[in-house]
Amino acid sequence: MLKNRIIPCLLLKNEGLVKTLQFKNPKYVGDPINAIRIFNDKEVDELMVLDITASKEGKSPNFSLIEQFASECFMPLGYGGGIRNMADAQTLFTLGVEKICLQTAALNDLNLIRKMADKWGSQSILVSVDVNRNWLGKPALYSSSNGKSLSMPWLQFMKNAVEAGAGEIILNAVHRDGTMKGMDTELIKLAADSMDVPLVAVGGAGSLADMKAAVAAGASAVSAGAFFVFHGPHRAVLITYPKYQQLEALFS
Amino acid sequence: MNISKTVFCKRCVCDSTMPEIRFDERGICNYCEQYFTRSGKIFNIAHQEKSYKELVAKIKRNGKGRPYDCIFGVSGGVDSSWGLVKAVEAGLRPLAVHMDNGWNSELAQNNIANLVRSLGVDLYTHVIDWEEYRGLMQAFFDAHVIDIELLYDNAMLAVNFKQANKYGLRYILAGYNQATEGIPLPNSWTWNKLDRKNIEAIAKQFGNMKIKTFPAVGAWDWAYYNYIEFIAFIPFLDYFQFNKSEALQLLQKEYNYKPYPYKHYESIFTRFYQGYILPEKFGVDKRKIHLSTLVASGQMSREQALEDLQKIPYPSMQDLEEDKRYFLKKMNWTEVQLKEYLSKPEIPHDHYPSEIKRVNKILNLRENIPPVISQTIVKLVNKFR
Repeated sequence: MLKNRIIPCLLLKNEGLVKTLQFKNPKYVGDPINAIRIFNDKEVDELMVLDITASKEGKSPNFSLIEQFASECFMPLGYGGGIRNMADAQTLFTLGVEKICLQTAALNDLNLIRKMADKWGSQSILVSVDVNRNWLGKPALYSSSNGKSLSMPWLQFMKNAVEAGAGEIILNAVHRDGTMKGMDTELIKLAADSMDVPLVAVGGAGSLADMKAAVAAGASAVSAGAFFVFHGPHRAVLITYPKYQQLEALFS
Repeated sequence: MNISKTVFCKRCVCDSTMPEIRFDERGICNYCEQYFTRSGKIFNIAHQEKSYKELVAKIKRNGKGRPYDCIFGVSGGVDSSWGLVKAVEAGLRPLAVHMDNGWNSELAQNNIANLVRSLGVDLYTHVIDWEEYRGLMQAFFDAHVIDIELLYDNAMLAVNFKQANKYGLRYILAGYNQATEGIPLPNSWTWNKLDRKNIEAIAKQFGNMKIKTFPAVGAWDWAYYNYIEFIAFIPFLDYFQFNKSEALQLLQKEYNYKPYPYKHYESIFTRFYQGYILPEKFGVDKRKIHLSTLVASGQMSREQALEDLQKIPYPSMQDLEEDKRYFLKKMNWTEVQLKEYLSKPEIPHDHYPSEIKRVNKILNLRENIPPVISQTIVKLVNKFR
């Protein structure tokens, strides 16, 4: 097992996988079942699937599809998107999902996080903190369900989530999403310095060096989408994952 | 099949159970005979070298001032991988084009990634919408036609043509070749890959669906790309000596290439189709043709080929079971549905609406135009570009 986990993050829209650019313009990248199968064969040690339209459209998670994912997936599977209550969470865990990730519901009511953490343990409850920088470069908490920036300071929300029982924080830099131009290490450092649960950094990874920089800034794990599904100037869809030895060398 | 009554060709491994097979007085069949007649022209070394140089020069000329000079269709298999290596070696600047129909294996992805990275070749992938593709596949299963892969092959042609057209390129290089594919499959084992109407008719009748994003190509599209845009598919591997096992060794050594046990196993569906559906439902074993070609081109001994044919077309029963499980899951089928499908008889493609007559007319058109005229047209068109 590596000291720092490298987690492919797959975005689900309806029944298909997509990849976004700064949370917009979803581009179809294929069938999720086949992608999971390929990641299995690549011996990835953790996978995250986020449904990007469930909360937007006020829908519950697509349980039958997630059941198929869980039965195909050899690695621990995390799922986020449209989880609104204890019953949703219960169903997901029963289907074989190991970690659930909340955002919209957590923004509305942190009590839900508390109840979930009490019932299933913090280690399986993740909160996603999406942060967007405006044109002046000022970071703000972002609500992915309606695409709006919120007035609550993002660091405060993160700390509250941890206090409520979130076992991991996923810090998603909206302005870097899909750009493959490097991760926002400043945000990562700020986040890592303000709390002590594992931090999963996501947004902007375009190389192994970017991932190393995120870890150096304090992330305990790095997640990425475009980096694992796109290749070259045409953003050609091609699923790749670094060799174990490469990652081992990177973090040694 | 009663082995004792089956007669094998004395030279290759084709046998008397195959359609339209005839043996001459020496006990040699029409399949491998066709190979030798056709390849005589292609494998004349002096001729090959001359046309190779001419081809490379033409491609380079066409590519002047453009980001690429040709398209190279890649699947992750040996033939197209080796072709791409040789194209770069020849100083060409190909854009590698790949199509993903939701059945790609990890091996294929890995091979393509290693190859384009080491060669520094740009890649374009067309990902077909899986939900639509699954609908089309389901319609083809319900129609009980033999050539399910018509869907992939047709779309692949369309995607290559579109990319060539986008960059103003005339040449689409591909991995198909005489040395390993020189014996044509029996007519009844496949269907014409340009029969767009057949695809649309089957989709409508059984899936009540219209093609939305599936990139289909028919006779008229083909005529447009060929006669108006002058885009041609080139069997690049026929322009030089191609030995599969040598190519494989080099690919493994230089490009970290991972081989597959059988031809066309880069897609999980193709593997299951050739290794299970074709033999079980249609009584067709394509390996007979693939292996016979390797025997005819001197790349495998006849004894080895006969021995291979005795084995199941899968590395192990466990691998077959795993693919079956995966197939059922992807198609949302139960085991009973698969059994039912396999037990029903084949229905020929032309039982459904088809544009095969038009395809054949248009394909023959080229042979009917005197070369002087067609070359003049090409020159004229070149002037105005």
